[in-house]
This record gives sequence, C-alpha cells and structure tokens, in this order.
Amino acid sequence: MKKEKQVKIEVTDGASIPDSSDKGILNAWWVSFIGAVGIISYLVITKPDPYRDILLFIPDGIVVTFEVTICSIFGALIIGLFTGLGRISSNKVINLIASTYVEVVRGIPLLVQLFYIYYAMGRVLQVPDMLSAIIAMSVCYGAYMGEVFRAGIESIDDGQTEAARSVGFNKQETMFLVILPQAWRTILPPVGNEFIALLKDSSLVSILAVADILRRGREFAAESFQYFETYTMIALVYLLITLILSRAVSHMEERLNHYDR
Amino acid sequence: MTAKPIIEIKDVYKFFGDLAALSDVSLDIKQGEKVVIIGPSGSGKSTLLRSINRLEEINKGSIIVDGLDVHDKENDINTIRQELGMVFQSFNLFPHKTVLENLTMAPVRLKGMEKEEAKAIAVDLLKKVGIREKANVYPSKLSGGQQQRVAIARALAMNPKIMLFDEPTSALDPEMIGEVLDVMKNLAREGMTMVVVTHEMGFAREVSDRIVFMEDGRIIASAPPEEFFTKADHPRLKQFLDQIL
Repeated sequence: MKKEKQVKIEVTDGASIPDSSDKGILNAWWVSFIGAVGIISYLVITKPDPYRDILLFIPDGIVVTFEVTICSIFGALIIGLFTGLGRISSNKVINLIASTYVEVVRGIPLLVQLFYIYYAMGRVLQVPDMLSAIIAMSVCYGAYMGEVFRAGIESIDDGQTEAARSVGFNKQETMFLVILPQAWRTILPPVGNEFIALLKDSSLVSILAVADILRRGREFAAESFQYFETYTMIALVYLLITLILSRAVSHMEERLNHYDR
Repeated sequence: MTAKPIIEIKDVYKFFGDLAALSDVSLDIKQGEKVVIIGPSGSGKSTLLRSINRLEEINKGSIIVDGLDVHDKENDINTIRQELGMVFQSFNLFPHKTVLENLTMAPVRLKGMEKEEAKAIAVDLLKKVGIREKANVYPSKLSGGQQQRVAIARALAMNPKIMLFDEPTSALDPEMIGEVLDVMKNLAREGMTMVVVTHEMGFAREVSDRIVFMEDGRIIASAPPEEFFTKADHPRLKQFLDQIL
C-alpha cells in the first residue's frame, strides 16, 4: 500500500509559527506574547497619557489593516491559483507568461511595486486608493502564492491524475475535482503563513493614503510629536496581532496533520 | 465468431528517447475476450496497456477501440475513456472522497446521471465486489485488497465495454490477492472484455482466452493457455516460465 505523501512547504517570510508540540510556557511564543501584553498593560495603566490615547487612536487602523490584508490574500489566492496552474501547464506560452510574472514580481521590491501600481493605476485609471493598494499587494503576493499552489499540486501523486483521466474526466475536471481538493491540505499552512507576512507588509500601504495601523500612528505622532511613544505602541500592536495569528496557524497545521480520515 | 475486434492494435511503436518501449506491436482483441499479457519487467506490457486508453502516447501505428482511433486527436479521448475501465497497481482511489463518492462522481458528472440513481448503481457494484458495508468510509480506512475491489467497482460504475488491469495484485499482500482475483473472475464470467497485465499464472491459466508474452517491447508469443503452457517453444518464453512457475 502506497503511503500518502505529506509534503510541507517551507515559507520563511511569515512569522515563526510555533511548534505545536512545544507546550511549555517558557517558549519564545509565550515569552513574546506575555511580554507584549504585559508591556502594553503596564504602559497604558502607568502612563495613560500618551499611551492610552495612542491605543484608543489605533483601532480604526487595525480594521483597515485587516481589510487590506484579507482582500489582498483573496486576490493573491486567485492570482496564485492561476499562476500555479500556468507554471505547471504544458502549454509553453502560458507557462512562460506565468514564469515571467513570478520572475518580475520577485525582482522588484514590494514598496516600488506599491508606488508603481498606486501612481500608475490610481492616477491614470482613477482607481480608489484602497483598491489600488489591495491590487498591488495581491499582484505581489500572487507570485509567491503561485509557487505555493505549484508545490501543492505537484505534491499529489500522478496516479490520481491518471485515475481521474481514466474514468473520463478532462484536464479541468481532474484539476478541480480531484487534484486541488487534495492539494489544499498541503497549501493551507503556507497560505496561513503568507497571510501573516502580508499583514506585516501591509504596513507599507501607510505610505499611500490608506489609514492602516501605521498610518494612524504616524498621524498621532505628527500631531503630538511623541514619536518614540507612538511607534513603541505600534510595534507592540503589530507584534500582538502576528503572535495571535501565528498561534492560529499553528493550530490549523496541527489539525490538518491529525486529519487522516 | 467473425465479428470485428473491439480493440485493434496495429504496428504500434513507442519510444522513450532511444529506447523502443513498444516495437511493431499488433494485437486484435474480440468482444468478450480475456487477454492476459505477461512478460519480464520492462518488456512493455504496461506501456501497451496504458496506450490503449492513451495514458501513454504512441509514436507510430494505431489503436482502434470500438471503431474509434484512440490516438487520433480529432476523437474525444474523454468519451473513449468512458468505455475503457482502468484498474491500477496502486489503486489510486480518490482519498478525499468516500467509497460511495468514488463510485458516483464520474457517472454523475460525466453521464449526467441522477445522484440517487448513481448511488443505487454504486451500492449494487459494492455488493458485487463484496464491500457493501464500507460505502461511507474513506479509502484510507480500507485494506489494500478492499481498496482494489473499490477501484474495480469505480471503473465498472461508468459501465465500460472493456476493462484494463495493470498489475492489479502486484501491490497487495499475499493474503489479499485472492479476493481481488475472485472479483476479476466473476467479471470474466459475466462476459466482460478484459485485458490484464499480471504475474498471476494461475489466473491466466484459469480465466484467459489467450496469453500474450512480451519481451523488449515485442510480442513474442500469443496463444490460448493450454497451448501456451504446453508448447512454450520460444527459448525466452521457456526461460521466463521456468523462473516464475
């Protein structure tokens, strides 16, 4: 009986995902988490001015950050799916287009891409600020996501394709009914990881006119001149969010691993 | 019986680089005939079987199944494949679907069959292969023998005219081989046209109408079983039979 392949795709640009087998309280995740919560509480209680004010000023930005991140991850998933399919396509032209897209996007800094799409699209095509930020993030992350999809699809045994084609499914039916539903198990953990990476990178959109966490912080600092205090708080808020998310991804990975029907 | 053969393999060549996996292979198979293909590994027997439903492309020659050229790009291979049930060495059940779904998926999607009707047919097929009670479990919960029987049922669910078996018992533990062969024997009794690549000589002797021996991409001998085993006159065939019997 053939053993099912369990491929793990390593992506290094996300947060460090806690090892779910490490249950002790003295691990990096708990130290960071308790530290972040502790420092935020301490600062807010002992020095409500300015720390409490900063904290109260940020929530709108958290909502925007999540909006940008969630919309971008969906955009990236869609672009990634097609890029991944293009990368494994036997059609040379499609393959070349997909590969070139990945190559180009990987070769240009995200910030430059953001500016480019923001000014090119926003000014020429009159696309709203928020939307052009989301498009830029999607295009960038779509390239990375394409690699995740490609690896996920390639992790499925060829026998599955042969079996599906043999009962009469065409290529598309085989991909969408047989291969992708299985590849999803391999794809999901790195997608979670990319989500965290994307959330952090979304701070770049604060440079455009999008009022995310960092942008809100900059606004506060510009008015109060309390730069150090504001950015301390901003850093802690980002840290807290990514810590919580990385724990969630870790739980998801664990559940996927245990899921051998 | 002078009926036109249901599978006509004519002057087929297939190359992997310089290596001829199939060279000058011709073979006619009649409706209802059971043909067993044997030969040492690398002899091209699996390649030949897989080229019948175009899992392998051929470089020269033609393979006509039920009047349609399988390797002619003009013909819709997906429709042709619906007539050709295929069973693999490694079962290849869809692990994300239950046993029942493995059987109903293709008929519902491809034949536009009602779900209930497909289910009823699937349940009947599962009864036939003796695992009715496993209908709602996932394949990973089944033994190899059970998985292979489900795989046979899945192929039958499309109601094919021909069944192709690619070493169906080679990946099984010895105690499970019998249950799979029994299912295949029943199928043979019902008159299914079968092409079987196998090392199971007992099965070949008992069930087949004809045994084909291949080596180095060529068909070296082809005869009904009684003749095949008693008059093995080709030295390579003799040597092969000595090794496995």
